[in-house]
Amino acid sequence: MLRKIKDFEYFKPSTLSEAISLLAQYRGRAKILAGGTDLLIQMKQRNLTPEYLIDIKNISELDYIKHNEDEGLKIGALVTHNSLVNSAVIQEKFSLLVEASLAVGTVQTRNRGTVVGNICNSSPSADTAPALIALDSRLKLISTIGERIVKIKDFFISPFKNILMETELVAEIQIPNLPVHNGGSYLWLPKVTSVDESLVGVGVLIAVDDLIHKICTMARIGLGSVAPMPIRAKMTEEFLKGKRAEDVIFRQAAEIAANEISPRSRAEYRREMVKVFVKRALGKALDKIK
Amino acid sequence: MLNYFVVGKPIPRVDAIEKVTGKAIYIDDLIFPNLLYGKVLRSKFAHAKILHLDTSKAEKFPGVKAVVTGKEFATNFDNPLVGSPLADQPFLAVEKVRYIGEPIAVVAAINQEIAEDALDLIRVEYEQLPAVLNVEDALKNDRPLVHESFNNFRYSPGFKPVENSNICYYIEITNGNIEQGFREADFIFEDIFTTPSTQHVPMECHVAIAQFNPDDSITIWAPDQSPYGGQNLIAAALKIPESRVRIITPPYIGGGFGGKLNLSGLMPIVAIAWKTNYRPVKIVLTREEEFVSTTIRHSSIIKLKSGVKKDGTIISRYAKIMFDTGAYADIGPIVLGKAATGSLGPYKIPHIKVEGYCVYTNKAIAGAYRGFGIPQVCWAYESQMDIIANKLGINPIDIRLKNIVEEGYITPTEKQEAHAVGLGECLIKVKENMSQKGEGKIIENRKRGKGVACGYKTAKTPSGANAFVKLNSDAGADIFVSSVEMGQGVNTIFAQIVAEELSIPFNNIRVLPADTDITPFFPASNASRVTFYLGNAVKKAAQDIKEQLFKIAQDILQVDKEDLALEQGSFFVKKEPERKVKITEIMKKTYPGGISILGRGTYYQYKLGSFPSHVKVEIPTTEVWMYASQGVEVEVDTETGRVKIIKVAAVHDVGKAINPITCEGQIEGGVLMALSNAMFEELLFNEKGKILNSSLLDYKIPSALDMPEINAILVEEAHREGPYGAKGLGEMVAVPTAPAIANAIYDAVGIRIKDLPITPDKLLRALKNKC
Amino acid sequence: MNCLINLKINGESYQLNVKPNLLLLDLLRYDIGLTGTKRGCDTGECGVCTVLLEGRPINSCLMLAVEANEKNILTIEGMAKDGQLHPLQEAFIEKGAVQCGFCTPGMLLSAKALLDANSNPKEEEIKKAIAGNLCRCTGYTKIIKAIISAAEKIKRREQC
Repeated sequence: MLRKIKDFEYFKPSTLSEAISLLAQYRGRAKILAGGTDLLIQMKQRNLTPEYLIDIKNISELDYIKHNEDEGLKIGALVTHNSLVNSAVIQEKFSLLVEASLAVGTVQTRNRGTVVGNICNSSPSADTAPALIALDSRLKLISTIGERIVKIKDFFISPFKNILMETELVAEIQIPNLPVHNGGSYLWLPKVTSVDESLVGVGVLIAVDDLIHKICTMARIGLGSVAPMPIRAKMTEEFLKGKRAEDVIFRQAAEIAANEISPRSRAEYRREMVKVFVKRALGKALDKIK
Repeated sequence: MLNYFVVGKPIPRVDAIEKVTGKAIYIDDLIFPNLLYGKVLRSKFAHAKILHLDTSKAEKFPGVKAVVTGKEFATNFDNPLVGSPLADQPFLAVEKVRYIGEPIAVVAAINQEIAEDALDLIRVEYEQLPAVLNVEDALKNDRPLVHESFNNFRYSPGFKPVENSNICYYIEITNGNIEQGFREADFIFEDIFTTPSTQHVPMECHVAIAQFNPDDSITIWAPDQSPYGGQNLIAAALKIPESRVRIITPPYIGGGFGGKLNLSGLMPIVAIAWKTNYRPVKIVLTREEEFVSTTIRHSSIIKLKSGVKKDGTIISRYAKIMFDTGAYADIGPIVLGKAATGSLGPYKIPHIKVEGYCVYTNKAIAGAYRGFGIPQVCWAYESQMDIIANKLGINPIDIRLKNIVEEGYITPTEKQEAHAVGLGECLIKVKENMSQKGEGKIIENRKRGKGVACGYKTAKTPSGANAFVKLNSDAGADIFVSSVEMGQGVNTIFAQIVAEELSIPFNNIRVLPADTDITPFFPASNASRVTFYLGNAVKKAAQDIKEQLFKIAQDILQVDKEDLALEQGSFFVKKEPERKVKITEIMKKTYPGGISILGRGTYYQYKLGSFPSHVKVEIPTTEVWMYASQGVEVEVDTETGRVKIIKVAAVHDVGKAINPITCEGQIEGGVLMALSNAMFEELLFNEKGKILNSSLLDYKIPSALDMPEINAILVEEAHREGPYGAKGLGEMVAVPTAPAIANAIYDAVGIRIKDLPITPDKLLRALKNKC
Repeated sequence: MNCLINLKINGESYQLNVKPNLLLLDLLRYDIGLTGTKRGCDTGECGVCTVLLEGRPINSCLMLAVEANEKNILTIEGMAKDGQLHPLQEAFIEKGAVQCGFCTPGMLLSAKALLDANSNPKEEEIKKAIAGNLCRCTGYTKIIKAIISAAEKIKRREQC
């Protein structure tokens, strides 16, 4: 039942160190507020009743999209889906992430919601997760104790639960640069209408040796909404490596992917859709390879 | 063809400017001094005895001003029950709860937060009872009874439920000889069709404010589609005169669709207002409460058996209709009755039998929902019509044209004369507006198909309507009626009618919000009856004023009435047009101190054979029939089972389009709502009777990204009694869409879906089974 | 503990003491008295609570009033300037894009943000821009026509 949000104390630190100090000080009783599009709903439903909210939107050091040839892409915690979608470097080099962010909610949601927030909410159907998994992303977690880097696939534990400790916040998403001759795609099928949670979300990234032989040198497949958390289709990836990137191989890969999932509802249909969308996503990724 | 000045023109709506500037007032925008906030405690179980209800902690909670329980209210008002035609519903549950979400108690506090917190402090002890959650179980022999006995319920004649059963209402209609009809047929078709429950999902949630007054009267402010209906229900339940209950509607309602009839879901406000010591109390339903505790659409199981000659003539039809009406009757029996009478379709069928069951279950209450039972039966008869056409190898449009009713035909179910039947023209126009055969492309896994369907519905007859019109000295006018403007455009229509009759500027005419103390009677803004009945009453009221003005103009200009004409706000002598007098001058000259000119109009239409013997009927009685046909073009992705609706051609016979733009708007909106009901919407109940998808996250309605191209086409087969020939439109728009889609899908991929909604899962499974 | 916030709504400055748990939607409707912004679902699904934050559409039911500190908000009441309707408001009236009107304020603001950023949007772009504003009455057909008409009006006026 939706109710008035329970009263809390509100902080708006202007530095990262202030923010994590507050997290440590109010250990377990505080929550980070960024876009708020998930958090506020949880608070209205009384699933979460934090006594302290730490609004990080004043921390300019968290609002950036950086890229260089050595360290790859770095996305700060305050980057909204809208900012990501409009980023020239992400459009050019990591386009499947743009496709994934566009799948999140509506214009209104994307103007507030952050990519890091989408990951921290840890919904099994989070749209950015399969794309970030396919990109082999890492997350930088920071607390007063120090910082640690975790792989995104290790971040999720179960629906809406992740490994983040009460005193930690996710400061940054790190995405390594991609090999030459790569192509990526994020495709999804909504549950019912066009603006909806995904029923199946597929993020794929492939790389080939050259444009003539098209032998797959790398394949990464992230799947969302088909298991208790976003997963990597490892067996499918193994199958694709060393094979020619073409339609008949993609079909076989998709069949394997359909067996790597464990959906809780509409299982039969989801299995069929994994077959369809892994195949289609691989095809689109191939088309993008230059 | 008569040429009107303002009627028939695409005038911009009178209320548009308020709505685009954010100035339009809806119920939640009203401010009340001394207001309390109410929150309703709702049942956790589908069927249970209330053993113990402890509100003591809530009553003591700081800021709480009143708490009321069902038992307390029932004791004080002698067990009041609400409902028409059957009064079976308490304001708050007394000894038993019958569905998850049923109101049990209400808290009123100085703010919403306190009311919510106090609700947590109420302790309820239940004894769970076995529940019935579908009609088939409810009709079995050893089933739990939702209502143990009906002996204490008030009911209208003919509406007594079947004792010792879950049958709220049963109707049987026969004509001819059904056995003979099947014997003589060359082909027999027998199919079962189902439809789910859906929710109206108006953008504005239900809100009400109520206040008891020291003179024991009650004032209620609510976005109620039927202020007089609500007044009637409450007064009858509390056994007080109707004039002691005043219902006031705000100027605008944010969508009704049948869901805001008779304080749906908000009756508990009367109980709490009784205890707040004359302070006004407001209840705002959350979106979740909208889904769970306001009325929903009847889900249905329909068995249709038709006997057909090989040339496509339908000679016999049997329909067995089962509607799930939920825990209380509400308007269910009337909906079922409507469905039963409409279940044969707009076709001439001599041998018929209809059996309709309105069945109680321990689920959310089903009530009025756009179409009022007709979309469910149209889903059945128009799907089967294509099954018949396909089997016999007859074109779907031709087989319908062959069987449709015509002017003067006495229908076997309504037993009324069909009049103003524009259906043939609708079918032909649909055919013209669908793209030619051969344009259906096959691109890889995408297959296109086209389908049509048609249908009819009657507006509620008899209905009575009153209107007052006040002409002001500046030749502006105020219209006093008890309809409500919920988007259909009724206020605009009335302004056009008065402007037309009195030849005064359209933009100086206002319609007042409905208030049972001020505006005269109208039963309800539903059943697509406002334009016909109230339009006629408003027209009569305007004509009353015109007659009074004519008399004065005759005196001023010294000519007889036949020599005078009225145009552009002036009376002028036909043969000498420069001899004229303006309406404003008439009023100033005749009444120098000032005056209003009052017009009144009453319109009552009887059904054939239904009028009381002492009433002299000077004009023929008639039904108001609405006809339409829709054609749909779809594209099916055979890999995913997803269906894209490409185009809809919706042809509607409106009698006369008083305002073509608002008519188009209703068609475009209604088609999308019906499309959504057919493809996207279904209230999912779990095994305990709980609605699982009670939020807009889980229950989806279309956004702009889901809309097809909709081509709204108007046909005008004038009704002899309608204002300027106008009939009705609001519900008909949502009737034939679902079967047209199913027929198009069959055309595309040869799969016949008989159970709504048409989901990709169902379609894909059927496609795979076919291969 | 209350927070002091400074913000601009429709060009006017406000300084208010608010509780942290107050939603921006409630601040607008009850504290400021601008009831044009509506409540529909409280979960950011329907869009009737849409306002423009620094020119961008957001759901005011999912934003706290304290988050609006130092920000510029535009509500429907601020769309007309000096008694002159915005071309979108005119177009909605002319094209019959309004029925019950409950979605209209949010719809107009989302459309305004679109036309401010993209003066010549294609139909698909319009649909995406208003996908977060649900309407149960109109079927969106005339809304889209109105937005296209408004874009043309704006172009013509700029040329004068």
